[in-house]
Amino acid sequence: MTTPAPLLDVRGLHAGYGALDVLRGIDLTVGAGEVVAVLGPNGAGKSTLLRAISRFDASVRSGTIRFDGNDLLRCTTERTVRLGCLHVPEGRRLFTELSVDDNLRLGAFTTSRARSGLEADLAAAYDRFPSLAARKRQTAFALSGGEQQMLAIGRALMAKPKLLMLDEPSTGLAPQVVERIFSIIADLGRTGTAVLLVEQNAYLTLQHAHRAYVLEGGAIALSGTAHDLRDNERVRDIYLGSSSA
Amino acid sequence: MIQLIVAGLTVGSAYALIALGLHIILRSTRIVNFAQGEFSVVGGLLALTFAQTLHVNTWLALAGATLCGFMLGLGFERFVLRPAARSGEAGLTIATVGMVFVLLYGHALVPGWGSLPQPLPAFSGEASDVFHVAGVAIQVQSLWVGALLLLALAAMYVFFERTYFGKAIHAAANDPLGARLVGIDVASARAVSVALAIALAAYGGTIIGPIALVGGAGGTALTIKGFVAAVVGGLDSPAGCVAGGLFVGVAEKLLGGVFSYGVVDPLVYSLLLVTLLVRPQGLFGKRVAVRD
Repeated sequence: MTTPAPLLDVRGLHAGYGALDVLRGIDLTVGAGEVVAVLGPNGAGKSTLLRAISRFDASVRSGTIRFDGNDLLRCTTERTVRLGCLHVPEGRRLFTELSVDDNLRLGAFTTSRARSGLEADLAAAYDRFPSLAARKRQTAFALSGGEQQMLAIGRALMAKPKLLMLDEPSTGLAPQVVERIFSIIADLGRTGTAVLLVEQNAYLTLQHAHRAYVLEGGAIALSGTAHDLRDNERVRDIYLGSSSA
Repeated sequence: MIQLIVAGLTVGSAYALIALGLHIILRSTRIVNFAQGEFSVVGGLLALTFAQTLHVNTWLALAGATLCGFMLGLGFERFVLRPAARSGEAGLTIATVGMVFVLLYGHALVPGWGSLPQPLPAFSGEASDVFHVAGVAIQVQSLWVGALLLLALAAMYVFFERTYFGKAIHAAANDPLGARLVGIDVASARAVSVALAIALAAYGGTIIGPIALVGGAGGTALTIKGFVAAVVGGLDSPAGCVAGGLFVGVAEKLLGGVFSYGVVDPLVYSLLLVTLLVRPQGLFGKRVAVRD
C-alpha cells in the first residue's frame, strides 16, 4: 500500500467468542474507496473478523483496530455506525415487520435526519435498486432473498458509510442476482465507498476486488492483489477449482 | 343487557390498556411484566392524590398520573429490569413478580392511599350522571372512558407507525441486532417502550377511576385479565390486545349477570385455555412464520 494512512487498519487481532479463540493475529488494511476481499474455507474466521471490527459480538483479546483515526476497540456498534463503518451480517437482520421504505429510512438513523437530505438519499437508493422501488410499501419479510440482500445493502448505504462490510452477500442467491450484487460492489468502490467483502465465491470476488486476503485457521495464509491471487497456484487449486478461471 | 355491555366495555378499557402494555413490554424485553396491573393501581392512586391534595380536576390528574407512570416506567426499566436482565429471561420475569409485591405492599404504606379502594372525582358532572338510550340508563363517565381509550390508542398508533422515533423503537423490538447495526441505541429504545407501557397502565387505571374506584389489592387480577385479553386477542397484535380487553370485559359482565360472582373469574380465566387450545395465535394474531 502506498497510501499514507489506510481507512481501516487492523493489527495483531486476536478475537473469539467466550472461551473459543477464532482469530490468531490478523493484520489487514483497507484504503479509502478500496474493494478488499477476505476468502477462506468455512470456519476460518471470516465472519468473526467482521463481527470484531463492527464490535457486533466477537470479543477482542488483543490487537488494535483503527478506523478513520478512531480506536474502534473503544466504540460500541452504534458508535462505529456513526463513524461510517457499516456491517451487513449474514442473515441481514432487516426489520421484517416494517416496510421497505421504513427500513431504508431507519438506515439513516445516525446521519442528519433533515427531511430534504433523507428524501434525496432515498431517491438515490431506489435508483440504485429499482426492484425495491416497486416494493416500497411491502414489509421486508415479503421480499425475495435477493431483494432482501439489496435492501440490507441499501439500508447500510443510507448511513453514508466510508466502509461497507458485507458478509457473504451472494450466498443462496440466483446467479443473475449475484452478478448484480457484485456490480453494485464494484460501483461502490468507484464512487469512493470502501468495501470489505467476505465471500465463498472466490471466482467472482477476485474479478471485482482490488486486493484479497486468504484466511485459514484464524490466520492470514496469503494476501495480495486480486490479479496476483487469481494466478496463484494454491488459490487456483483450492478456491477456484481446476475448471474455473 | 345493554347496561352490562357498557359496563363490560368500561372495565374492558382498562384490560385493553393493560394488554397493550403487556404486548409492548413483551415485544421489547421478551418477558411478561406481572407488575403491569399494580402499576395501573398506582397510576389511579397518583391521580387520586393529584385530585385530593392538589385540588386539580380529574383531567389534569389524568395527565399527571400518566406522566408519573412514564417516569416510573423509566425507573422500573433502569433500576429493576436492566440489572435483572443479566440473569436472563427467567430472572427478568421473577423481577417483575417481585415488583408486584413492592407495589402492592408499598402503596398501602403511603398516607392517604390506604388499602380500601376509593372513587376518583368524575371527569364531568357527577359520577352518577346518566343519560338514556332507548330507555336504558348509561353512565356519562362510560362515554369518557371510551373516548379516552380511543385517544390513547390513536396516540400509540401515531407514535409507533407515523413518527421516525417511534419506528426506530419498533425496529429495535423487531430486530435488536439489526437496530444496533443502523446505530439505534437498543437499551434506550427498550427504556422508552417500558415507560410507555407503564404510562398506559397508569392512564388505564385512572380513566376507569370515577366508575371502578382506585387503589386496593386488585392489581394482580388486572394483570391476569389483561394477559387473558392479550392471549385471546393475539399477543403479537396491538389491535388484538385491545379487542381482547374489551371482549374479556364484556364477557365478565355478561357472565356476572347469569352466574354468581365466584364463578365468573374462573370462567373468564378459562378463556385463556380455550384460546390456547382452539386458536393459539389469538383472534387477531398471525400464525408465526419463520424465515431467515
